[in-house]
Amino acid sequence: MIELSHVTKTFGGAKRALDELSLTVPQGAVYGLVGSNGAGKTTAIRHITGIYRQDSGSVTIGGLPVYENPSVKSRIGYIPDDLGVFSGGTIKELAAFFRAMYPRFDLQRYAALRDVFRLDEATPLRRFSKGMQKHAAFWLTLSMRPDYLVLDEPVDGLDPVMRRQIWSLALEDVAGYGTTVLVSSHNLRELEDICDHVGIMHKGRMLLERSLAELQDNFVKVQLVTEHPLPQSLHVLHESTLGRVQTLILRGEPQTVANELAASAPMFCDLLPLSLEEIFIYELGGTGYDVKNFVL
Amino acid sequence: MIAINYRDPKPIYEQIQAELRRLMLTGALPPGSRLPSVRELAGQLAINPNTIQRAYRELESDGYILSVAGKGSFVAQIDQLAEQQKKQAVEAFRAAAQRLRALGLGEEELAALLAQEEQTDD
Repeated sequence: MIELSHVTKTFGGAKRALDELSLTVPQGAVYGLVGSNGAGKTTAIRHITGIYRQDSGSVTIGGLPVYENPSVKSRIGYIPDDLGVFSGGTIKELAAFFRAMYPRFDLQRYAALRDVFRLDEATPLRRFSKGMQKHAAFWLTLSMRPDYLVLDEPVDGLDPVMRRQIWSLALEDVAGYGTTVLVSSHNLRELEDICDHVGIMHKGRMLLERSLAELQDNFVKVQLVTEHPLPQSLHVLHESTLGRVQTLILRGEPQTVANELAASAPMFCDLLPLSLEEIFIYELGGTGYDVKNFVL
Repeated sequence: MIAINYRDPKPIYEQIQAELRRLMLTGALPPGSRLPSVRELAGQLAINPNTIQRAYRELESDGYILSVAGKGSFVAQIDQLAEQQKKQAVEAFRAAAQRLRALGLGEEELAALLAQEEQTDD
């Protein structure tokens, strides 16, 4: 389990990059960390991987503090958004380095993955394209058999074949070895397939943290036309009207919502599941961070 | 074997469930045959294993599959289920036909609808 509890971090100024952030990734979960730009996702990730030290609060993995703790850190596979640290050497040199740093580095696995990535092991990484550098990072990181996989916008710049390949490898590890994954991304469509838990961050805080199943079972979008008032018992998060059609975002189990709505005898009523993207937009809309109806 | 439609707003586990059900009811996955393991399917579809687990769990509680600890999941004897589903569908069809008749649709128009349906099915 990865756990951040009331973590606060400032970088010199008065602004808090992380403001009492709490985050829990259950063991064996695939956790999608999403948020507005500048919300502090990468800062949170750098605490989880032990790069930053928090001003206050605690950061633990499996109950142990991470900062300056090599035995915990050797079990974390980390792919940063900026691969600068990797680009100095060749894959061969980096593999030797990884073997020295990570006791569980698996040479057999490294050899098996050679066929997947097909990169030249003697070329310096900085001569590779950005996407290929990512391939190399995944090759090395998956070879060290991490218990925790921490990925900061991992598939940005990867072609569709490689994206799928990477997720397929990572998810097989989740199913086979119970690997715990934390991934930050803006691609909510993709996260919907990959994740079972989601955390939405805004301004250094956690806005909402749920299992995806809970989100899907407890939010529903309704389009309806009715001349009667809506039942008071409904928990309406968002409401908009276009002509006679009302669109409501409701909190509640779809079947219950449908039964309650039937009471107002709608002429037309359509229940739609809510996508992660919609949940993201409505949740952030509640904080004032929303799409303005603006015409230039 | 299993196609996920990313534009379908239905949750993925429901889609997986529906696809597997279709394969079982059409006999593509006959009773007694082993379903792919959660790990295989997670890798193949690049889908969260817990999502697949959820689909399997619900198929099991609906009586479509049986899980044997350590061996995997197998297609149950679903002939009866298929019969039952057919009956339900026929009833729904009858109800729809009655409603259409009440709305003034004649015998010929109904037959034409059915013929149209058959064509679009292919």
